[in-house]
Amino acid sequence: MNSQATLSRELALRIGLAARVLPDTDAKALFAVLQDCVGLPITDANLSGITLTAFKAASAGALAHIEEALLKQALHLLKHPLADADPAPVQPEIHHLQPEDLAGSVRIACASDDGVNVDGHFGACKQFLIYQVAADHAHLIGIRATDSPDSADAEDKNTFRAELLRDCQVVYMASVGGPAAAKIVKLGIHPMKLSASVPIAEIIAQLQTVIAGTPPPWLAKAMGIEASDRFRFLTEARA
Amino acid sequence: MALYIVEADCISCGDCEPVCPTNSITEGAIVFKIDKKTCTECEGDFDIPQCVKVCPIDNCILPLEA
Repeated sequence: MNSQATLSRELALRIGLAARVLPDTDAKALFAVLQDCVGLPITDANLSGITLTAFKAASAGALAHIEEALLKQALHLLKHPLADADPAPVQPEIHHLQPEDLAGSVRIACASDDGVNVDGHFGACKQFLIYQVAADHAHLIGIRATDSPDSADAEDKNTFRAELLRDCQVVYMASVGGPAAAKIVKLGIHPMKLSASVPIAEIIAQLQTVIAGTPPPWLAKAMGIEASDRFRFLTEARA
Repeated sequence: MALYIVEADCISCGDCEPVCPTNSITEGAIVFKIDKKTCTECEGDFDIPQCVKVCPIDNCILPLEA
């Protein structure tokens, strides 16, 4: 019986993911080790019986040199259905902006490498995720790649990146250099450097709380709230 | 003769507060503010107002019209 025909897609994916955490081990090599451990066919039931000791001893100790922590991680991936593991990053859906999305909103850019967290350096991140955020809704409206012309030197690169975000009011990033920050400010964009990598969803939630409450005057101005309306905010806050 | 902070532009970074030689800058209800009674525009202490020097926003700290 061809054992591969009996592998479910999900199980095959788990073996692939487990192989990825092990150094110098591809899925094929890991498959050989598993085959030695439990025989064929490989199933959920016999995988769950593998012990760390058996895992290390299989295939004449092919994995014995690998750190135990990594082996444990691989075993965990093998034994648990994927719902327990980290979901694979999904490409988020881009929302087509409607006029009504704009009221009382602010457009933000998030420097991100993984598409989930604000984890990018302004001058080095792969992409900027652009969101339109209002108190009660937030939409991803674009993902802007940062490929700049190869000939551009460092200074041009930062200008190029700042220009990419010209329509945004705020840009969040994990780090940014001084001269680059100056270029961002010059375009009227407010740079926000975070002290650590933070999920974009958290940033948006935070910002929504601020928008729903009393936005600071600079933000109110960026959102296009009229000065007379702002005055109402100010008097409320002072009272 | 004193400076003031433009409320709509101040981002409340607080950089100006510690550099004021006369301790005239405090955090207000909305943004930072300068006490016009004690602000000297740094005359006698520095050549240029220190808050203007450290403020990251252009034209955010301006002279109060007499």
